Amino acid sequence: MPSLLLRVKSKMTIFAHRKARGMLDGEYGSVFRGRSLDFDDLRAYVPGDEVRDIDWKASARHGSPLIRRYVAVRRQTLFLLTDTGRNMSALSRAGETKKDIAVMALGVMGYLAHRHGDVVGLVSGDSAGTRTIPAKAGEAHLERLLRHVSEHATLNAAASRIEDQLDHVARTVKGRNLLFVVADEVQASPALGQLLRRLRAQHEILWLTVRDAELVPGPGSAGGHSADFYSVTDSAVLPGHLAQSVPIAAAYAKAAAERDNARTSMLRQAGITHGEVDGSQDVVTALFALLERHRRAG
Amino acid sequence: MFWWVVPLALLAAAAFGWAVVRSGRKDKARRRPAAHVDRLTTLPEYQAALRRHRRWLAVAALACASLLVSTAVAAARPVELTTTRPEQHNRDIMLCLDASGSMSSADAAVVDVFAGLAKEFDGERIGLTIFDSTAIQVFPLTDDYGYAQEQLNLARDAFDGKPGSSGFLDGTWSGRGSSLIGDGLASCLNSFAPVRTEAGSAPDGDAAQRSRSLVLATDNFLSGEPIMTLAEAAALAKDRAVRVYALNPGDFDYGSGADQPGAQLKAAAESTGGAYYALDNPDAIPGIVAAVEETETAALKGAPRAVVSDEPGLPLTAALLSGLALCTALWRLRL
Repeated sequence: MPSLLLRVKSKMTIFAHRKARGMLDGEYGSVFRGRSLDFDDLRAYVPGDEVRDIDWKASARHGSPLIRRYVAVRRQTLFLLTDTGRNMSALSRAGETKKDIAVMALGVMGYLAHRHGDVVGLVSGDSAGTRTIPAKAGEAHLERLLRHVSEHATLNAAASRIEDQLDHVARTVKGRNLLFVVADEVQASPALGQLLRRLRAQHEILWLTVRDAELVPGPGSAGGHSADFYSVTDSAVLPGHLAQSVPIAAAYAKAAAERDNARTSMLRQAGITHGEVDGSQDVVTALFALLERHRRAG
Repeated sequence: MFWWVVPLALLAAAAFGWAVVRSGRKDKARRRPAAHVDRLTTLPEYQAALRRHRRWLAVAALACASLLVSTAVAAARPVELTTTRPEQHNRDIMLCLDASGSMSSADAAVVDVFAGLAKEFDGERIGLTIFDSTAIQVFPLTDDYGYAQEQLNLARDAFDGKPGSSGFLDGTWSGRGSSLIGDGLASCLNSFAPVRTEAGSAPDGDAAQRSRSLVLATDNFLSGEPIMTLAEAAALAKDRAVRVYALNPGDFDYGSGADQPGAQLKAAAESTGGAYYALDNPDAIPGIVAAVEETETAALKGAPRAVVSDEPGLPLTAALLSGLALCTALWRLRL
């Protein structure tokens, strides 16, 4: 099995051709608003860094902007939180397995954290149980985390239940951390909203939604005649041609829009920065936008 | 008939179903996994469509099963076992008509009746011989009913005395005397081959099994010296297993003596297993001939036989209907 982290890095390199990768670093670095006065060192300014972090005197001496780094910032803990149940082995909107997109997103985020000098932990699981891998530094550890996600989110896994993982974090993780949640299109519910508000009170939360496959082929989509879907929950087959009828497609579009609205409004009310991604092509861009939004919100 | 086809077909269907179920499990590879399908399945519109889909699927499955069962049943060849008494048509009827002047109207009636009967014959053979002092075979035993009918009509015209038809009776007066009954009967009997004792050696396979009857219309009013007497001819008839039905349109018996012509004829006919009918009126002849026909037919009713006949209609109709239902269902399912 080739290294998952290598795949993540190559993806980020592709992104770097279009935008400075340093921008991504800066966006990540500015996620945390908690600062200490425990000065560590200076580093070059990259777009996205907080202006107030610039050490003006040092910049004047050096000739280019420099950023002050603090110990507290460096020792942040990033918890990757994802679902490794059956749902993640289903297809995404772009036609890939959602698990692959999740691994890519977790890898990019984890790698950013790693370059920033942070430690990365993982909380993952399904309805059968939740597993925590403690936060550590190092690429090897990150690779292990990604591999864990990749290996556990199969069609043979137990059913998905992201609430269990969130609840687990709420009960066991102490201190203020950055939570990066990769989930699919979960159904909004009052209980989940309350749990998210409870978590948000303690942690910084970034939420990336991997869009689920469209069950009704849209009017413009070419893949209308592809094979039928089956539900990963109970293996029930969804006859594809049934969904092609106009009234069902209309009802589906309406219901899907309502569902999306409910989810985004739930996350917004909880104060969680939220992004969406269709396929692994868009992961880096979506993450950049997510971090940017989070910085602005902060 | 081939009842073992049904369990065989059921076994085959079960094996096929098992194979389908097995391949259906692998079939999942063709389908794509999707999560949160409740996005679609909870829609009432979708549920209604799914119910319709399932209904048509059930119809298709039912039609398929019924098609299989009915074709299997049809392939097993259902038979109906009935017993019938077949009416045999392997009769030979010889008409032997006395062409003397006194008999014309009776002959005409007999010929007329048989001309009508010949239309309905199926397998019977009919022949006509007329005699006076000598016997003329008008046509031998034949199943060419068109020809027989034509000849019978000609004979009727001749007996009715229609102009231009007298040539029909030519050659019946060339012997000595008139109405030589014994000779006439013997000549008629020549149409029937002698009975072989061994049926297998008969040149004509079923000749021995064909029933033989002879309708003799005469008044037994002998004038002349016949070579064979009526009694001898009757013995010959008995020898050849021919039943003689005698019609006597004018019974000229005086008293009840055994030597009276009518009594002689009656004795001769009955000695061959036939019957004797004395008539006062030629108009009664059709009824008599019909009665003779009935008697013969009744005597010839075959032994009860078991008849095995295929009954493919019901299963094949069911198969057709199931096929139509299946087509409709598949069309509705858009497969």
